[in-house]
Amino acid sequence: MTEGLIGQERPLVTISLRVNGEPVEAVIEPRELLLDFLRDRLGLMGAKRSCDTQVCGACTVLLDDLPVSACCTLAYEARGREVLTIEGLAQDGALHPLQQAFIEHTAVQCGFCTSGMILTARSLLQDHPRPTRQEIRHYLKGNLCRCTGYWNILKAVESVAGSGRQRGRVGEEAT
Amino acid sequence: MLGIFQIHEPDSIEEASSLLKEYGYEAAVYAGGTELLLVMKEKLAHYSHLVNIKTIPGLDEISFDPEARTLRIGALTTHRQLEHSSLIAEHAPLLAEMESTVGNVRVRAMGTIGGNLCFAEPHSDPATLLLAWDAVLEVGSDEARRRIPIADFLLGMFETALQPGEILIDVHLQLLPANAAGAYRKFSTHERPTATVAALLQLEQGVIADARLAVGSVGPAAFRAKEAEEMLRGQQPQEELIASAAESASRAADPVDDLHGSAEYKRHLVRVLAAEALDLAARRAQAEVDYD
Amino acid sequence: MTASGSGIGRSVPRVDAREKVTGQARFAGDLKLPGMLHGKVLRSIYPHARILGVDVSKAEALPGVVAVLTGADLLDIDPYYGHSIKDRPLIAIDRVRFVGEPVAAVAAEDEATAEAALNLIEVEYEVLPAATTMQAALAEDAPLLHEVEKLRPGLFHGLGELRPQGNICYQHTIARGEVAEAFERADIVVEGEYTFPAVYQYAMEPHTAVAQWEGDQVTVWASCQHPYLVRAELADLFGLPVTDVRVIVPYVGGGFGSKSYTKMEPITVALARKARRPVRIANRVDEAMVTTRRHNMVCRMRTAASADGTLLARQVSLWLDTGAYADNGPRVVATAADAAPGPYRWESFHVDAYGVYTNRPPSGSYRAFGATHLQWIGESQVDEVARRAGIDRVEIRLCNLLRPGEEVRPGGKPLDADLVGDVRKIAEALDWDSPKPPGTGRGLGVGLLAAGARPVSTAIVRLQADGTALLLVSTTEMGQGARTVLSQLVSEELALPVERIKVPGGDTNVTPYDRSTGASRSTTLAGKAVQRAARQVRDELLAIAGEHWGVAPHALELRQGAVWYGGKSLTFPDLIHERFGFSGGEIIGHGTVRPEAGKGSYAAGPVFWEVCIGGAEVRVDPGTGRIHILKLVSVADVGHAVNPELVEAQEMGASMQGLGNALFEEMVFDEGQILNSTLLDYHVPTIEDLPDAFISRLVENEDGPGAYGIKGVGEGALAGVPAAVVNALADLGIKVNELPLTPERIWRALHASDVPQRQEPIFKENP
Ligand SMILES: Cc1cc2nc3c(=O)[nH]c(=O)nc-3n(C[C@H](O)[C@H](O)[C@H](O)COP(=O)(O)OP(=O)(O)OC[C@H]3O[C@@H](n4cnc5c(N)ncnc54)[C@H](O)[C@@H]3O)c2cc1C
Ligand code: FES
Ligand code: FES
Repeated sequence: MTEGLIGQERPLVTISLRVNGEPVEAVIEPRELLLDFLRDRLGLMGAKRSCDTQVCGACTVLLDDLPVSACCTLAYEARGREVLTIEGLAQDGALHPLQQAFIEHTAVQCGFCTSGMILTARSLLQDHPRPTRQEIRHYLKGNLCRCTGYWNILKAVESVAGSGRQRGRVGEEAT
Repeated sequence: MLGIFQIHEPDSIEEASSLLKEYGYEAAVYAGGTELLLVMKEKLAHYSHLVNIKTIPGLDEISFDPEARTLRIGALTTHRQLEHSSLIAEHAPLLAEMESTVGNVRVRAMGTIGGNLCFAEPHSDPATLLLAWDAVLEVGSDEARRRIPIADFLLGMFETALQPGEILIDVHLQLLPANAAGAYRKFSTHERPTATVAALLQLEQGVIADARLAVGSVGPAAFRAKEAEEMLRGQQPQEELIASAAESASRAADPVDDLHGSAEYKRHLVRVLAAEALDLAARRAQAEVDYD
Repeated sequence: MTASGSGIGRSVPRVDAREKVTGQARFAGDLKLPGMLHGKVLRSIYPHARILGVDVSKAEALPGVVAVLTGADLLDIDPYYGHSIKDRPLIAIDRVRFVGEPVAAVAAEDEATAEAALNLIEVEYEVLPAATTMQAALAEDAPLLHEVEKLRPGLFHGLGELRPQGNICYQHTIARGEVAEAFERADIVVEGEYTFPAVYQYAMEPHTAVAQWEGDQVTVWASCQHPYLVRAELADLFGLPVTDVRVIVPYVGGGFGSKSYTKMEPITVALARKARRPVRIANRVDEAMVTTRRHNMVCRMRTAASADGTLLARQVSLWLDTGAYADNGPRVVATAADAAPGPYRWESFHVDAYGVYTNRPPSGSYRAFGATHLQWIGESQVDEVARRAGIDRVEIRLCNLLRPGEEVRPGGKPLDADLVGDVRKIAEALDWDSPKPPGTGRGLGVGLLAAGARPVSTAIVRLQADGTALLLVSTTEMGQGARTVLSQLVSEELALPVERIKVPGGDTNVTPYDRSTGASRSTTLAGKAVQRAARQVRDELLAIAGEHWGVAPHALELRQGAVWYGGKSLTFPDLIHERFGFSGGEIIGHGTVRPEAGKGSYAAGPVFWEVCIGGAEVRVDPGTGRIHILKLVSVADVGHAVNPELVEAQEMGASMQGLGNALFEEMVFDEGQILNSTLLDYHVPTIEDLPDAFISRLVENEDGPGAYGIKGVGEGALAGVPAAVVNALADLGIKVNELPLTPERIWRALHASDVPQRQEPIFKENP
């Protein structure tokens, strides 16, 4: 326990976890959100805060490979677990196939949704390497993008999912 | 930003319960946190003590008793577990079908079935389906355990039969008989559903032996459309009968005007969804169509 | 002389994509300055009230709080701003005019402390009668939002004389001929009253600003679209020379108009001034919603036509709710008026457009404003004329559409697009002449948007001694791909690969003046300045090489980062060495665009007419009233596509926003309070809302005022979608005069006979 700024007692907990493969140990307040922990303590800025209510997915990180809203998840919840953020996706400078596909398919515009979108897609493909278009749409429903209109994101994910669609104009390949 | 709180890590229901009693209104059960933390962030409530029941072993398990033909679903089972569990897929595919539509992947990864039921948010998918299913909830404290039929558990908007210090432990589901089937229909325009309907029908030689119809999300709490169920029993599932049962369910609803729509529209939606659910349940019970 | 850069016309990958897929791209909220404080804003809970007192003593006493700002801290400056009308104090002074108006702001060591401090501030209000709807604001005894005779034009008013009246802050009329006479003569008259809702732009990055004072100079990092206009307003507010204000714009997480002009910067700068430390303020979604939004509108329109479907006249009155402060309202009013007649050859038209102050949060720009408001209305009336005249809905357009060179609005730039060709393309993409499957409706809508804003842009290209070019331009990269496209223009002119061109973000101390990033202007106008800057560099390279070989520049060729003369070549580094006699130095070119520069075409606004066009094929679920979009089609009439995939990306993104605006987006107010102020209740399109198919066609007629005949895109598709969907519904016999087309509204329209409908006109008589 420490004396807090507001004169209230601030309980503290010690957590150890792995972030992008690296061990991390920290003393935190239980109320600290995973998003603030990653951004403010570890300087990992890829996860963004937008809706702050678990709707948009800009803050998505993978906790033991499952997507969570870091904006509404306690950092405490990550104790003893593995966190993957967008910064940990490329291996030795080689982009993950999804990252590559997002570049090639112009699935990135302002980039604010991109980290969350890619991590969510990676979680889908991990469990389900060949999803249908319908399954991709269902899985990505909780990741908003206001810029792209989603078509290029869909194409990028499909290209990695190997669902066999050719690159090209979306209209001609309606479901 | 969350206010300051302390987190407790009990090992047992009894310990959790005594912590809850010790801190009274200052304390809350913390499960997935998807509702609790949102409420606290929005400053709609504050608790200085969160009792993390995830440190109690065994609360997130699904098991099947082949003798009694019951599924036991731990309160901490997440929506995602239910969506993907092979036990659920085998014995209660309708539950998996419904669970796959809850919120989004992140909410399903963190949010628990217990948290959903205990929060008693009126727009709940599980509450609607489990009400039709006559699920029985086991709750416990440091003093006793008891079983409550879900109909007696869900009392109203954000209101349940849980007593101070009580914790939801698990959900018991009696499997449907072989000649029974169900269907779940929902309509959404926002994050949470606008209207939800679950229908379970048991057919014997083309005649409805048992019918259960639950309606949720339109009013303060999910309810059973008793009159509609009565109308259906002993009849053949014809289009007209289904239409009148749906009409009856719609009349029985107590919808409210809100951002999701007017009461009048929601009443109409209940009629549409109930007819669809009953029709699909009947066809499934007659093995014309399978679960998705 | 030729340059074979082939930088344009190719879909090169975005230059910022790698940074963005790896999480390295930095936004204003990612910035951390040493000693930076966190700012939080206390906002009004009343739509209209007098502030009797603000007691901040308890908040100030809270450990960790460094400063608390209120209106009382602004006595040494003129605290009012507003680029069109200076009507808004940077923090409430003696009165609040909307729920959410900043009343106080706290700077503290951490966010939690700042939030805790807000709860300790005591504000005493005297509640005043409020006008929280336009009807209330236009009523005879309505409370006045502003002392109208005192309305002051803002720094960038540019819309003629202010003639405020009651709560009407701005009025714009456009007219040609005598409409009354045409309506008397008409065989067909279609008329109606229509409403358009308030809509939230939802750029995913909420407004963020960081301010740091050093002596009398201030630096602001902001998620803003128009750094130079923000600089000017900050300088004006704080009494500084513009060069003492520095605005830096990192990557911006979407703008769509929500970050145009000045937003959270003044309050952040004022708070940092008081705290004497750097301060960051980042909006939440509910705060972004009360920072700016799309105007809700009421419109009455009537259209006259002869029996054969010849359009004769149109008369329109429209009222746009600009909220408590004008923001960009006057420009929205003027643009809406311009969009109202639609792109047809009228004998006469008359449009009266009004901007109305109400006790609601201020409204400003949102992608394709004006056109989105009006096009669905005008186009639904054209469809209705076609139905009554018994002619095909594409045919009526082909007959009545303006042709290139014809006058669009009195005194304005004549039409610079082939609308007939565009409509044919939409029809073709919709298989217009093929039989429709039962239960499907088809519709299309076409319109024009006055685009380009003011043609004032500058750019600098610095060719460095290693042969890389640094492009300095103040266009904000907010997702549209500006840095990529502008690099491609340099690449084209200098025959340098795109990878050899660097484009840093906007910084008013470094990158030269640009009016703004918006109104689809950047590729056209900033692009023209970039082209000119690059050409200067090119000319100088050629001159050096010509001198070297003793030949005239036109005998030389630029290719692969070198100048060629026959088989001989000199690389750019060689030429710079030649020039300076040293392995340093650089060649600098600058380019300017100003109103005179286009030989008249820039002078008579708009810079260009952006084509707003779309088509849709829909089905309706009769049970729930839900609309299912089978197909959306758009035509990007871009003049010349610098990067075709980026053009298509604009069309896809704008169409999806158009679908949100058409189908479900609406900010719901009760007594001036927003009821759906989180994304849990304000639904924006998700990937599940995608239509079954989307087709986008590119039209490159090189008829734009930019380099290579470029004209802007990015907004038109948004305005086209609601029009197309409304007309596709009418094709199914479902007529609506209110957006959004929620399932409930469609259900009511489907059951018009047995469900009660709204009968009363919204305004009983002209206000
Ligand atoms: C964006 C979003 C979308 C959603 N969409 C849907 C939807 O479409 N359909 C739907 O049905 N739901 C939806 N939900 C609700 C979601 O299902 C619940 O948030 C989740 O299931 C709650 O579980 P939790 O474990 O996170 O509960 P918590 O937040 O941990 O707890 C919720 C409440 O229940 C109490 N509690 C939790 N567990 C127990 C227990 N075992 N015993 C006693 N008390 C307990 C807590 O004290 C708290 O008051 C949505 C939620 C969000 C945020
Ligand atoms: S910011 Fe976390 S889900 Fe939107
Ligand atoms: S790229 Fe801007 S929100 Fe997705």
